[in-house]
This record gives sequence, structure tokens and C-alpha cells, in this order.
Amino acid sequence: MILVVAEQRDGKLNRATLETVAAAQALAGGDPIKAVVLGQSAGAVAQELADTVSEVLLVEHATLAVYTPDAFASAVQQVVASAKPTYVLFPHTYQTRDFAPVAALRMGGALITDATGINGTGAGATFSRPMFQGKLSAEVRHQGDGPRCVTIQIGAFRADAVKRASAGPVTPVAVDIDASAIRQAPEAPFKEAKQAVDLGQAERIVAIGRGIKSQENIAIAERLAKVMGAEIAASRPICDSGWLPMDRQIGSSGQTVAPKLYVALGISGAIQHLVGMKGARTIVAINKDADAPIFEVADYGIVGDLFEVVPALVTELEKS
Amino acid sequence: MAMKIAVCIKQVPTREWQPRLNDAKTWIREQDASYELNEPDAYALEEALRLREKHNGEVVVCAAGPTRVQQVIREALARGADRAIHVEDESLASADAAITSAALAAAMADERFDLVLTGLQSDDQGHAQVGVMLAERLQMPHSTIIMEVQIESNRLRVKRELEGGWFQWIAIPLPALLTIQSGINQLRYATLKGIMAAKKKEIKKVALAGGLAPAQQIVALALPTRSKQTHMIAGSAPEAARELVKRLREEARAL
Amino acid sequence: MAETLEVDVLIVGGGPAGLSAALRLAQLQKASGGEPLSIAVLEKARDAGAHSLSGAVLDPSALRELIPDCEAKGVPFAVPVHRDHVYFLSQQSKFPFPIIPPPLQNHGHFIVSLNELVKWMAAQVEKEGIDLFTGFSGRDVLFDGSRVIGVRTGDRGVAKDGSKKSGFEPGVEILAKVTIFCDGVRGNLTKELVPRLDLAKNREPEQYAVGLKELWEVPEGRIEPGTVMHTLGYPLLQDQFGGGFIYAMPHRRVALGFVIGLDYHDPLFDPHMAFNRFKQHPFITSLLKDGSLIRYGAKALPEGGWNTIPQTYMDGGLIAGDAGGFLNSMRLKGIHLAMRTGMLAADAAFESIREGDTSAASLKRYQDKIDAGPVRAELYPVRNVHQAFGYGLLAGLMFSGLTLAMRGRWFENLHGKPGHKRMKMLAWYYGLDVPASRTSNATTIDRKLTFDKVTNVHYSGTSHVEDQPSHLLVQTEVCSSICGPEYGHPCVRFCPANVYEIIREAGHPPRLQINASNCVHCKTCDIMDPYQVITWVPPEGGDGPQYNGM
Repeated sequence: MILVVAEQRDGKLNRATLETVAAAQALAGGDPIKAVVLGQSAGAVAQELADTVSEVLLVEHATLAVYTPDAFASAVQQVVASAKPTYVLFPHTYQTRDFAPVAALRMGGALITDATGINGTGAGATFSRPMFQGKLSAEVRHQGDGPRCVTIQIGAFRADAVKRASAGPVTPVAVDIDASAIRQAPEAPFKEAKQAVDLGQAERIVAIGRGIKSQENIAIAERLAKVMGAEIAASRPICDSGWLPMDRQIGSSGQTVAPKLYVALGISGAIQHLVGMKGARTIVAINKDADAPIFEVADYGIVGDLFEVVPALVTELEKS
Repeated sequence: MAMKIAVCIKQVPTREWQPRLNDAKTWIREQDASYELNEPDAYALEEALRLREKHNGEVVVCAAGPTRVQQVIREALARGADRAIHVEDESLASADAAITSAALAAAMADERFDLVLTGLQSDDQGHAQVGVMLAERLQMPHSTIIMEVQIESNRLRVKRELEGGWFQWIAIPLPALLTIQSGINQLRYATLKGIMAAKKKEIKKVALAGGLAPAQQIVALALPTRSKQTHMIAGSAPEAARELVKRLREEARAL
Repeated sequence: MAETLEVDVLIVGGGPAGLSAALRLAQLQKASGGEPLSIAVLEKARDAGAHSLSGAVLDPSALRELIPDCEAKGVPFAVPVHRDHVYFLSQQSKFPFPIIPPPLQNHGHFIVSLNELVKWMAAQVEKEGIDLFTGFSGRDVLFDGSRVIGVRTGDRGVAKDGSKKSGFEPGVEILAKVTIFCDGVRGNLTKELVPRLDLAKNREPEQYAVGLKELWEVPEGRIEPGTVMHTLGYPLLQDQFGGGFIYAMPHRRVALGFVIGLDYHDPLFDPHMAFNRFKQHPFITSLLKDGSLIRYGAKALPEGGWNTIPQTYMDGGLIAGDAGGFLNSMRLKGIHLAMRTGMLAADAAFESIREGDTSAASLKRYQDKIDAGPVRAELYPVRNVHQAFGYGLLAGLMFSGLTLAMRGRWFENLHGKPGHKRMKMLAWYYGLDVPASRTSNATTIDRKLTFDKVTNVHYSGTSHVEDQPSHLLVQTEVCSSICGPEYGHPCVRFCPANVYEIIREAGHPPRLQINASNCVHCKTCDIMDPYQVITWVPPEGGDGPQYNGM
């Protein structure tokens, strides 16, 4: 049996949980999949998952109302002890990173983090994960006898690929957590405008290179970014010229990104740039030069004048 | 209130390193690599040095790795750490988080540190587990991806980074372990005097504890390959745009 | 408040010359006892050896003298030279020389990676307890009148606009009784010293070449380790000095490269393209086929020989190694001479300090030691060789043969002209027929065997702090006005790392863009620019290439 540890905050299910269910479905072969929801008054979240798994375990406790590693690790440990899954899957979120290693250690299990792929099914499965900042891909397997824990990289599996059936039961599960033993006292989360742009979090990026020719023309790319819901980024020469700030630079001397969609406008694809973006899921390149190296890594390429193609794209996207 | 602060550091291949694999393809070819201090660990070290400047005490760098790790230990001492503990073993070069955290815990337990700082993850294997596992092994509370540290008498108040631009302050009692986010402070340079003084600072060598079992095994390493073909889209600008949007929506599902 | 440090001997440069000097000083101390000398070595690279690059075939004589048990201590001699070949290349074929010219006979020598050798030497220096400060550049010489009193290191933490960043550390003033300058070919400190103290009086002008090198991994059995090949001819013209080298190392590694004299006439010539063409020769291509590129690098070489070596001693200072031009251009060897001169400089410094007199008169004993021993014995007979090549390949070869036979006797010293002065203006070289392509020797790049500069630079591992002032100081008025019409912006071509680009915007004069962070510290620009308006200064300490295995 595979147990998926769901993540929710204030009654809202984190979409990454569904991606983790999709991963579980790829891993399961024929084995059953269950989900566990931790919280207080989390019944609605549990219900949301009911048609994706064979059973949802609902763990409600006052100490789980707000996330702390002590409470969550303890809860997961207890659920695993009674449910005895072969695999425990989590989404690789900041919250998971905060407590999953402790939970795994206490359960005597092995934890593989940031998995991007699953090879095989069931007990013999191995997992792909990035190493050396994405320069290498590793295939790893668990060792030891305890529950096999895996955290699934955000976006590696598709939430909309989850197979749904008729809703299964939501089963309340009791846990015993001593509130006085919880060592962390969290305050309420708050939002802050970050000083530097974190392109690493962007789902879609429109990047511009020398082909944009002048600073004024960047507006054309920005229009495309806006209609796509994308962040603007650039190759080195653009930032060197001061047309965009340095924190927009992608490449060996800038940021390394792996968004869902990367649109490269007028970028030749020098290796220094490619190392920063070739991990993107879908790469689109628009360049006048058919021999530009960018086309070697692109999924879709248009050899053409970006000053014609980009406005055409904007028009097309605005239609819907 | 003087504090005994530990900083766990790792030596990783430099950012410019081009990956080359050993013949078995289970690890990298180390001879070709240049090494440097893991970037988040550098920020953890800087944070520790600042806390010592503010609160007095001692900063001890702890590393588990092969002999070459001396390079980053010396660098940390040159920047101002007071002494070091080196769990030295060649096998630690490719050890997983379970072994690394166990090796460090065994060497650090008797020191009874007030505060342990680690980087949030390493730039080589990137498991993001050693810090958290170490906290558990040392029986300390922990928090991860920390942006700011405040010490108030016997407890910490730390600012934790959440996704999407959200943050959270958390109070935890000392002794505790924190994993530090990159970029939270400005790193200092090692001065000449610092480099000279580093030579006289103690580096305690500790043998790797026996009987440690790995939690995972690397079956194979590979350069990521692109299995997809490049679809070149022809036609006039409006035609190509239409075709591209269609494919992005339906095929790639990127929009 | 700037840090200061006072030592007895300051060695600037942690290459073979500087490290030999340091080791020799340690030996002299141990042998003589008495008050220990304080010694400091400065090295701008982040790690010892990171900026060291050479072919290289090493004559181990100097090293064995310095460290007789070097082999027992694990010195990284990659492989003994097993076989020498010299070829003349035409575009499609190769013609072996019937005999290997004696200077190119390498029996008893070893193929080495200079980077590995320097790393090993640095470990020996550390074992002696000598302070090797990596990540510290020598920025300025400190003078007291005409006496060298030390060196100031570069500031760290300066922003692009010149302001101080929050981690700012001012440069350190290191004062020394004797400073040994081992700052390499066209060293920025030696470049300051020579005119200021008039050290080049009555000397021939210095001459240089640039070496471009790649390290490849090739299929098993392709070429036998220990094979040394040198080539002349293709792709160079009769009036261009240079040639190629291929050295086969263990573990399927091949070091290959191309050396081009920095005195060519054609302003549209691109040395990096010549290297690409060299690789496209069928013979070279067959060696590299199905192989993969591991590393790339470039560095200038001092080619002028004995008559161009400046006065190497001054009040409080000595010059050793490539910085002084101690390279045998006929044997294509300079590492053993760097070591020897480093050792002799150490001897001289030690004796002078013990005698309490570090004036030029006292330190002159360094020059005397050079004159009396194997350094002069080796360099004097070949003193005119590079200058002879100034008359063309054939003349150079004939002269080399003659000078060997006559053991260097010649009735006068041949004169050379500084290389940058030999570059002709476009109008002079091409008349009215200036080629449309701005590079006269361009060839198609396939990014598998041949590469563009930007891709190659990626394999040099070079990195620089982004937010710092440019370390290439250029009087750009020249770029925007006369350089284009006169020479066609040769910096774009002679730099092997794509540091220089000319941006042409409608309605504006040509603008020089400096991509300083691509720099591999080869010094070609400082040497070859026809107007001499480029000055290379060290970037922030620790910046630059990572020449692992080179």
C-alpha cells in the first residue's frame, strides 16, 4: 500500500498533493493507495481527495491545526505504524522538507527527496532525482527494511493526470500528541515583497537575448510575458547592457531555472545560457538564425523575425 | 551569554565544474573537479560569526568528508571560526544524508552545542536532509530555510521562508538546529591575518563511526538527455503563432 | 584601516618560479639554521595551479635538483616521453621531419600537467609551513624612491561603479626586504617595474606568442601515452610564427594546442580560428574523432629569448620565471628555467638578507648566478632564434639549424621589433581588397570538434565576481575613432576568450563592450593591441580560470 501525505493550509488543499497522488498511481502497479490528511477541521480537504485514492485517513488534532515539525512528524509516524504502507509519498514542499526527514528517521525508514521520475512499480522501483544542481540525473533506490519515503518534486507529475474513481471512505484516525512536548511556537505567516526576483519559482518565463536589439523593444517581450502570465528574464548581454537588472539573468553567471515553459526570444543559445535553462519542461525558441544552438534544446522552434512572431503570438493568446 | 555554535560545512564541486562520471557511472570523476565551500554553508558560517560577534562564544566548524575537505575547513577557520572537527574518511565523499548526519552526530554529541547551523542543502547531492536528521540525532528542535536569527536569553526567534513570498517567525528553545538559506547576509573575505591564524587553530580529526548503514543507493548517474525532438514550426508569423499556441496548449500543456 | 604585513621575502606568483623560490628558501634556512626568515607567497588564483597552463613536456633537471626525492614524494609526472614526432603540415597531408631536431628531442623528459605539478609543489610549500596566500593579487609595487619595498594587494569588494560593497576589504600592504617577482608572462607588476627603473635599457624589445590549448578525452587505444608531436606549417602562412603540439597522456587524455607568434602582420587574423583550422586538419581530426572536450585555456609565452630579458635585479627586488622572459623558444621549454631562476633568486635573496644588504649591488649576485650556470648556458646560444623567425619560417628554420651547428655563435645580435608594431594597417595589408568577412582565416565551426570562443571559454572554468570594475583598462576613444578604419578592431580577434566586442548601433560610433568575466588572464590583449591602449590589471583575488588538468 502507498500512503500519500497530503498538504493543506487553512482548509485549502495544496495542488502538489494531487501531483503526489499521480506519482503514487504511477508507482502503485496494482497496490492500493491511501491518503492521510493532517489538521483540525480538515474534513472538506479529505473529501476532495476521496475519489482519487481507495481511502482517506483523516487525522484531526488540536496540535495539528497549525504546522509544526514536532506534531506532524509524530502524527505521520503513528499513522504509518498502524497503516504499515510500503511507500510513504510527500510533495517536496518547504513544509515537507521541514519534517519528513525526522519522520523517516523515527520510523526507521529511508527517505529519497526531490524525485522527478519513477522507474518500475512496487517494491523494486527506483527513483530519478537531480544531482549537482541539475547537471546530472541520478537513479536511486531505497535501502533498509523500513517504510520507503519519497518526496515528489513540484511539477514532476501532473495533477490533472490523476485517475479518479468513485469516492472511497474518509476514515478518522486518532493520534496521541502531547501538546506540551511540541518545541516550536510558530507565529502567523505573513507576505513580504521579496527584494530580488526569484525566477526559480516562476512557472513560465519569457527570456530575451541580443535579438531584441534595443531596450525600447523589451516592451514587446513584456507584452507577451503579461498575456502568458510569465516572468521576464534575459541572457547575459541584456543584463550587461543594463537593459534589465542582474537578477533577471539566466545562465552560468545568473540563475538556473526549470520552469514549465521557457520562451527564448532572440537568444542564440550560447552554452553559458543553456546551462541555466535547459531543464525547463517545454522550451520554445524564436530566432532569425536557423543555426542558432538554442534550437538544439528547444521543443518548438520558429525561425523568424521575433518582431513579427511575438506580436502574432500576443494576438493569438489574447483571443482566448 | 556566551554561545557555543557549530556550523556544519560541506565541500562540493564548483559551479563551473563540468560533470564527468566514473566508469561504473555510480559517482563522478573526482580528479577533474575543483571544489569549494557549499554556498548555503558559507552563509551559515557567516551567520554564526555574526552571532558570535553579538553574543560572544565560540564557532566550531564540523565537516564529514575525505581529506580534501581540509580546504574548506581552513577557509572557514581563516574567515574566523575558532576550531574544527573533521570526521575524515574517503567513503564520505559520496555518502548519503543518513550516513553523513550519523557521522556528524557521533562527533558532535559530546560538545553540547547551544546552536547548530547548516546550509539548507548541498549543491552536490542536494538531499536537504542532513540538517534536519542531525537535529533529530542530537535531540534538538529545528527549523529550516531560515532567513533571520534572533537570540533572546535562552530561546531563538527565527524567520522561516515559506513558498510564494510568505514568511513566518517561529520561537524555539535552545539548544536548537537551523538550516540557513543562501543570501541572507554578506559574506566576509578571509584576511591575510585570518589565513595565517587559521594554521594554528585546532582541527580535531575523528574517525568515522562503524556500522553506519546507508538509506539509499545510487544505481546510476547520467547526463540528463532530451528525449524529445525539436518541432520546427513553419509558415507566416500569424500561422506559426497559431500553430505554436495550439501545440503549447494541447501537446505540451504548458499554457 | 588597511592591513599591513612585514616579511623578509615576499614572492609574488605561485607558479613554478615562485614555488621553487619558496622551497629553496626553506631548504637554505634548514641548512644554515639561525634566525628563520619570514616568507609569504601571493597567488591571485583561488587555488594553487588554477591559472597554470602549459603543454607541457618537462625537463625534470631543475626539479630533481630542488627536490631530489620528488618521485618518491609522488610528483605528478604523467608519463615519460616515449616517442617524438615533428611534422610539417600542408592543408591535407603531413610530412614527417627525417630527423627530430635535437632541441625537440625529449628523451628523458616527461609529459606533465602544469596545473597538477603546481598543485603538488604548493603542497610541498605548505608542508614547509610557508604561507601561500591564494586569492590575493599583486596590484601595485610599493616603492621608497627607487627601492622596491613590497607590494600592495588588490582591494576586494569593490562594486562596478567603484563604490565599496558591504564586505569591502582594502588591499594589504606587504613590506619585504626582498620581493621576488614571479608574476608570469607580461606580469602586471613586472610591467610596472621595467620602465620605472629602466630595466630594459640596451635590451631587445620583448616578444611574445600566445598558446591556445585544449584537453580532450579520446577513445581507448587511439594514441599511445607518452607520444609527443610538434607541427609546423598549416594553417599558418610563411610569415606567421607558430605551430601545433599534441601530447598523449594516460587515461585517454590528449593535450593539444597551437602557439601563434604575437607578431603577425594581418590585422584580420584570428589566432583562435587558426587553432580551429589546426584541428580540422585530417590528421588532427582523426586523433580527436569521437572524443570529448574537457578543458580549454590560453596563455601568452615570452618568446624573445636572452636578449630581451631585462635587468633582473634592483634595490629590494628580483625577477624570475616567465616574468623575466626565461623561456627557451627553440626547445619550447620554460618550466625548468622558471624553477631554476626561482631557486637562484632564493639563493640571492637569502644571502643578501643574511648579509644585511638588499641593494641592487648586492642582489646583482642573482644575475651573476644566472650568467655562471645552466640558465645562460642554455639561453645564450639560442638568443637570436625567435628574432630570426621574424624573417619568415624558412629563414627561421635555417637560422635555427645554423645556430645549433655553431653553438650560438653569431656575429651580431639580431634585432626584433615588438610584435604589436608588426601588425599592418588594413589599407597597407589589403590595399583596396579588404575581405568582407572581418576575419581573414575564418572557418566553419561544428561545436563538436571546433568551437566558437564563447563555448570554449565555458570549458576554461573561468569565473569572476560580476559586480566589480572591469580589469581591462582601455582608452576607448581609440576604439570609437581610428581603430576601426586603421586595423578593423583586432582585439575582437586576438582575444581568445571573446572579452572584446564592438557594438555598432545606427547613428553611433562603434562602441567597445568589455565582457571582463570571460577573461582567461592570457595577457594577449595587453601585448598585441597596436595602439597599446589596453592595460590588464588583476581582477578581484580568486577570480579567473580553473585549469584543472591543464
